[in-house]
Amino acid sequence: MNREIVMRGVLALTVMSAVGASRAQAQRLQIPAHEKTVLKNGLTVLLLEKHGVPLINVAGIVKAGAVADPTGQEGLAATAADLLRKGTKTRTAQQFAADIDFIGGFFDTSAAEDYTSLSAEFLAKDQGRGLELFADALLHPTFPKEEVEKLLAQSVDEAKGVKDSPRQVMLEYYDGYLYGGKGYGRPTDGDEITLKRIQRDAIVKFYETNYTPANTIIAVAGDFNAEGMKKKIEEIFGGWAGKAAAAEKIEATGPVKGKRLLLVDKPDATQTFFSIGNVGIAANDPDRVAVRVVNTVFGARFTSMLNEALRVESGLTYGASSFFLQWKEPGPFAILSFTKNETTTQAIDMALEVLKKLHTDGVNAAQLASAKSYIKGQFPPSIETSAQLAQLIASHEFYGLNDDEVNQLEARVDAVTPEIAKQVIAKHFPQENLVFVLIGKASEIAPAVKKYAEKQDTRAITAPGYWPGEK
Amino acid sequence: MKTGRMRRTVWMAVCAALLTPPALRGQEFPVATKTLKNGMKVLVQSDHSIPNVALYIFYRIGSRNERPGTTGISHFFEHMMFNGAKKYGPGELDKVMEANGGSNNAYTARDVTVYQDWFPRSATELIFDIEADRIRDLSFDPKKIESERGVVASERRTRIDASNEGLLDEQLWATAFIAHPYQWPVLGWMSDIEHWTIEDLKRQFEMGYAPNNATMVVVGDVTPDEIFAFCEKYIEPIPQHAPPPPVTTVEPEQQGERRAVVRKPAELPLLMIAYHVPQTNNPDFYALNVLQTILFHGESSRMYQRLVDKDQIALAVDSESETALDPTVNVIVAQPKEGVDPQKVETTIYEELERAKKAAVSDVELQKAKNIRLAEFYRQMRTISGRANTIGTYEVFFGDYRRLFDAAKNYNGVTKEDVQRVATKYFGANNRTVATLALEKSVENAKP
Repeated sequence: MNREIVMRGVLALTVMSAVGASRAQAQRLQIPAHEKTVLKNGLTVLLLEKHGVPLINVAGIVKAGAVADPTGQEGLAATAADLLRKGTKTRTAQQFAADIDFIGGFFDTSAAEDYTSLSAEFLAKDQGRGLELFADALLHPTFPKEEVEKLLAQSVDEAKGVKDSPRQVMLEYYDGYLYGGKGYGRPTDGDEITLKRIQRDAIVKFYETNYTPANTIIAVAGDFNAEGMKKKIEEIFGGWAGKAAAAEKIEATGPVKGKRLLLVDKPDATQTFFSIGNVGIAANDPDRVAVRVVNTVFGARFTSMLNEALRVESGLTYGASSFFLQWKEPGPFAILSFTKNETTTQAIDMALEVLKKLHTDGVNAAQLASAKSYIKGQFPPSIETSAQLAQLIASHEFYGLNDDEVNQLEARVDAVTPEIAKQVIAKHFPQENLVFVLIGKASEIAPAVKKYAEKQDTRAITAPGYWPGEK
Repeated sequence: MKTGRMRRTVWMAVCAALLTPPALRGQEFPVATKTLKNGMKVLVQSDHSIPNVALYIFYRIGSRNERPGTTGISHFFEHMMFNGAKKYGPGELDKVMEANGGSNNAYTARDVTVYQDWFPRSATELIFDIEADRIRDLSFDPKKIESERGVVASERRTRIDASNEGLLDEQLWATAFIAHPYQWPVLGWMSDIEHWTIEDLKRQFEMGYAPNNATMVVVGDVTPDEIFAFCEKYIEPIPQHAPPPPVTTVEPEQQGERRAVVRKPAELPLLMIAYHVPQTNNPDFYALNVLQTILFHGESSRMYQRLVDKDQIALAVDSESETALDPTVNVIVAQPKEGVDPQKVETTIYEELERAKKAAVSDVELQKAKNIRLAEFYRQMRTISGRANTIGTYEVFFGDYRRLFDAAKNYNGVTKEDVQRVATKYFGANNRTVATLALEKSVENAKP
């Protein structure tokens, strides 16, 4: 359930490659044809046929995510989602598990910042059973008391256990500190304190308010006939009733002014994990493609400026990267790396030096050409499977984006000039206003990192929760 | 409980490729093969669904071929394969590849080192030029060696020091094996990382990187003819030489339980149990996988139902088994709930194992396991990189990629009696090693 740090180009990078320049004209990348239907009850249905492998994927989006959690009950959306399969009107949790496992399928849920995500996969020959299971969890959960208590007890333990892995909790600390514990600064899966406050009544209320047809998108992609699938979907979901929920309000927070630093003390740490940045851009930001190009040069591939400096040239770390998470409202931008305790300031100084160099030198023609080629080359395998495509069209629908995100990607990437890159650097890569979050051994590194910010906060990793809170 | 595949790294996770039977219809795809004059075998599968190519090279060398004092050298060498050769100097390989739309990665395991390139078809010839350059003419720049030593040390601090599972896994293998080289970590012990020399690296290169010690798999928007032509031009002229000497050490039979304890400050304890099982190409492979699926796969599995759902003493329980050329271990990983004695989790796992020995699994469980293996096969086959990895894995670990097409038959042939037999044969008390991570409340307490 917890978010892993995105270490593009360094960790967890298993993406592949792409459109050859020689064939780019003949074979420009297009998203496969798909259709959108809005049922009478307001449910949005997206269907995309993709044959070849006999698998079908369903991606559901319910337009209420972690930001819809009541203050102090962070983790409510995630808990409600995880309970969908834990008892329905006709199945116990155990029966649901037995039925989905028997067909070799899966059904997963999670809460993202802006929405709740449901995903299922099954073989084409099992499409009737697979869809029925998906619908059963979405439409008929009963939230049995025993299952609610069981899940919450497990979640509290997980929230503690995850702190044994600094990489897994870095983003929770970073977001919490960056957004001051508001809006996107609240933990999506909750923490040791907030999960204990969640009651069954609140879960049921959250479900009844937010899980309505007009508040939901269902995308199906894979080996099926669209016409037949549409009929099935209408049969299964057409009778679903419920009023649309009011749109959530996100407490918009602008970028942090000045510099501040949070040191999370982990006394047995041999390395310091650090992130540095500020509030970045939203999913629909008009500069998003240019930001992607510049960030590819700066920190989103192996030969990025950051990884070249901190890993390739100096051997200070296994990886250094940067990312922009793009949500409904501006998400975080961060530089991310780690290094042994003794070289903590050397590595952070170097990261700041690279950031400065980006501002002073800009992006040259060769860097720009290489980044464009890399993005175009790496993109096609990201839409290779029905699982990827179902998720992609559902999230486009949610964020108000369209097929041009794919079909025009090459043209938009090619349109980025050194001049545009320069503007994007000035606008979206903060230099004076920066938030630092470090997880490391305070007794060894605290004095040295004082130089980065006047405002300093510290907390023990064993302290419950993620953000320091308002004093 | 699995380690993500990370750039230039250690392969510790299950190789899902081997758990997968092919479908019954239309899944026996054509693979063109050719053995070059220098002994390298090349396998090609055309797939024009995206204009991309996945090229994997499997070298039959890993930590299994190492010696005490230079443990981890295979993995370190893997890093050095990106740090400069004759034509493409230090840093150039990555720069040229990325500028042409490609990317790369690699992983080192106990038995193999695998290099992966993903690129647009327009970059195909360039990739062959790069691969040939580093197989033929790798250079060893002392400065690069020193900086890469720092990178690998950082990797070890990240994977072992900052991961309870990584730390405990290392102790588990070191205890389960007393003779065979599987006992040391693929990453190597920290003191070995600090001390290996340029001569060690050169020996490693000469030993492991013979073309006749490698298998190349290419899947994607290419034809076998064009790939074989590039092979003749770039790869075939590289002379063959002696492959690594055979690993002759055989792990003696374990005759009693072994235990390891790690004490450190942590939020939650951790439990791992290893059982010796045969190498991948053993006929019991399929029955063992069916047993593992019934016990551990999904929330309907016996272990989840018992430990997580009913008794509520664990947050998660899983099992891993690596592909292996020599007899290996099956590893059970359980995350106890807070306040639950790991001992309680351990005895409950044994109860479930005993149940699998005493009575046959049900028809439904057996069929479920076979259905899951079928679906997993398609998941593996849905991408060009998944197919490249699967074809190569079967070729190396079963000795023939065509075993992939027999897997369905072999899984369907597994009976309830087979499942019961392998449970009894391999999951006994004398054959197990137990590693526990026990909590120390503060660093001070951890000191003797």
